[in-house]
Amino acid sequence: MDVVLEARQLAKAYGVGRDALQVLGGISFSVGKGEFVSIVGPSGCGKTTLLFALAGLQKASTGTVTFNGRPVTAPPRGVAVVFQDYSRSLFPWKSNRDNVAFGMVRVEGLSSVQKRDKAQEMLEAVGLQGFEDKYPWQLSGGMQQRVAIARGLASQSELLLLDEPLAAVDAQTRADMQDLLLDLAMRFKQTCILVTHDVEEAVYMADRVVVLTRRPTVVDHEIAINLGKQRDQITTREDHRFLAARHDVMMSIRSSRTAAPATAA
Amino acid sequence: MSILPDRQRYSALVLPVVLLLVWQVLAWRASTPLFPGPGQVAISIWRLYPQIVGQIGYTLMRAAAGFLVAAVVMIPLGILLGRLKTVGSVLEPILDMMATLPPPAVVPIVMLFAGTGDAAKIAVIAYAAGIPLIMNTYEASKTLHPMATLVARSLRLRRLETMVFIDLPASLPMIATGVRLAVASALLVSVTAEMLLATNGIGVFLQRQQENFQIANGLAAIAFISMIGLIVNDLVQRLERRLLFWHYRLDLHNER
Amino acid sequence: MGAFRFMEILAWFRAIISFLIIIVIWQSIALLGLVPEKYFPSILAIAAGFRDMVISGELVSAELRTLSRALLGVASASLLGISLAVLGDLFPSFRRGFAPIAALIQPVPPAALVPMAVFMLGLGPKLYAFIVILVTVWPPYFNGVAALASVSDVQIRTGQMLGLSRWQILRQIKLPAAMPEIFAGIRYASSISLIAVVVAEMLAGHDGLGFLLIRKAFAIRIPEVYALMFVCAVNGLIMNTAVNGLRWRFAGWQLRMAGQAA
Repeated sequence: MDVVLEARQLAKAYGVGRDALQVLGGISFSVGKGEFVSIVGPSGCGKTTLLFALAGLQKASTGTVTFNGRPVTAPPRGVAVVFQDYSRSLFPWKSNRDNVAFGMVRVEGLSSVQKRDKAQEMLEAVGLQGFEDKYPWQLSGGMQQRVAIARGLASQSELLLLDEPLAAVDAQTRADMQDLLLDLAMRFKQTCILVTHDVEEAVYMADRVVVLTRRPTVVDHEIAINLGKQRDQITTREDHRFLAARHDVMMSIRSSRTAAPATAA
Repeated sequence: MSILPDRQRYSALVLPVVLLLVWQVLAWRASTPLFPGPGQVAISIWRLYPQIVGQIGYTLMRAAAGFLVAAVVMIPLGILLGRLKTVGSVLEPILDMMATLPPPAVVPIVMLFAGTGDAAKIAVIAYAAGIPLIMNTYEASKTLHPMATLVARSLRLRRLETMVFIDLPASLPMIATGVRLAVASALLVSVTAEMLLATNGIGVFLQRQQENFQIANGLAAIAFISMIGLIVNDLVQRLERRLLFWHYRLDLHNER
Repeated sequence: MGAFRFMEILAWFRAIISFLIIIVIWQSIALLGLVPEKYFPSILAIAAGFRDMVISGELVSAELRTLSRALLGVASASLLGISLAVLGDLFPSFRRGFAPIAALIQPVPPAALVPMAVFMLGLGPKLYAFIVILVTVWPPYFNGVAALASVSDVQIRTGQMLGLSRWQILRQIKLPAAMPEIFAGIRYASSISLIAVVVAEMLAGHDGLGFLLIRKAFAIRIPEVYALMFVCAVNGLIMNTAVNGLRWRFAGWQLRMAGQAA
């Protein structure tokens, strides 16, 4: 399998000297083409810091991220981010269609009509036909996040980074959105990295789960989730393989929460 | 007004009518041209309105020119300063200090550099309108939510594109506050500058009336200024509501 | 609180640095002769002009007149504005009747009032009281009306459940809740009161900083003109400081709350 993204010994400290806070302690993992990888860890383990480093939004202190073999220093072409805070990540002065089309500002070789059509297509893909000319603030939270997902898909991304995209929507919407995301990932053969604190979500969505330790964070272990691409909210969640994986991840998160603070290498 | 029930609509008229009547009675009792009643002012308005409208035209043109100069210079500058944190934080106290200087106090200096012509007046107006514009734009641009910047970077926007497509529209609600203050300030300073650097305009007209003891005519001019001010403020507000619909509906949406 | 003090010191530090930068830039423009020195004197010349005016006594008397006019004017305008806002809150029909009057008087610039007012009121304190109050009463009034109307229902109901009278609810719940916004209005009013006083002095041509500015300008005493502009800006700072001090006294709860949240 072609490797799309690789993190090698990624470390990040805030501040210097004695007050320095070592957040990431040397994280290594890789993501292959078409994979859906969940990253999960205990609260405060620097998941968002990690995702921002992968996206090129924030520099790591040491270590490297490579995307398609090239080192990431700034947000690279072909990586899109869906942020948790959808109400702020969408622009209230743009209609939903314009918001999605704006995801393609830096995409060359497309006329504005083509971008518009593509935006329309993506809005339909996330089930928002009929809302193209409405504004984000006229939609519910879940629908706003769908617009943000459509924007991410529209920007011809090879890799979609999802930063707790469903943390702020209600439980039922959440289940629907999980299935929508899985369906989209399959349809567009989209490589995805999902960062979440919700263990069930991590296991339900992913082909592979990367489990992180507490600060200074390293990869505790990885589990392959061999449940096939097709998932179902009821049967998958009752499957013994799902339950075993869930048990495994929860155990390691619980042990890292109660363990004595790990010392930085 | 039309949505008020009839009784309330009439009650809104009681106080103004009573005040006008009291004024008229006092004027009758004083019976001197130095204290004209509303009747005499109305007659002055009827007689002089072509002249007054012409003079106000000059005043408004200069106010508009000064405002435009200020907007074109100060809004981009404010956005830029908000982005350049160090330069901004050094210049901030200077701006604060300039903001405390009453704009008419710069008239004597501007007069030295630019004489008493239109250019001088427009410069003073631009200065007066520029201060609230840059203060509000800078403040808005400085306090933008970091998420806007993150999104811009993840979409790989260039710095200039970020300022134009994201910082500017996101700052517009606060810029609008600055615009309202700047428009009021431009009108105020336009009249003041005319009176100090007399050539034409409604300010000069007012001074002529004072020199000729024509109080009723002067009050007629003031009534016109107030009407114009009212209309301009209303236009600015309508324009704001129209352009910033997304901002105001956003608020309504959140309240629900 | 420690962080607050630190921020305060930092702000002063920045102010001093930018003040030094102004002086350096100013002085180098003056020394390089980019602008004729006649129009753009050096800092030293401006300081000398300032000293001359202090020694002759004209600056002190003008400054005292201007500052006292602006301060007294904005103080009485604020009290009047708040009273009118309270009246408007107690009697909605008064508010509706007052609205068209306010809308018409509010946009009239102070300069336009001066010629007519000089006629009726002379050049004394009555003139300045009239002009400053007529120009500055609106921000506290409008902010007051809006803030009193938007006090939360829950707070008012709480007062009713405690058996407070209408007047007590106004005094103890609505007015304190409205104070921060009223003070925002007073702050704006204080800056326009200074403008109104200076303009009126310029046009009335009798005394005060505005008059002195015009006189020095016509006498082409440029360093003195710059020194006077500096004094005007300092007056603005004095007014701001005074208003902020009162704001701490009457609406400090909001500032402390905001500080806590930050």
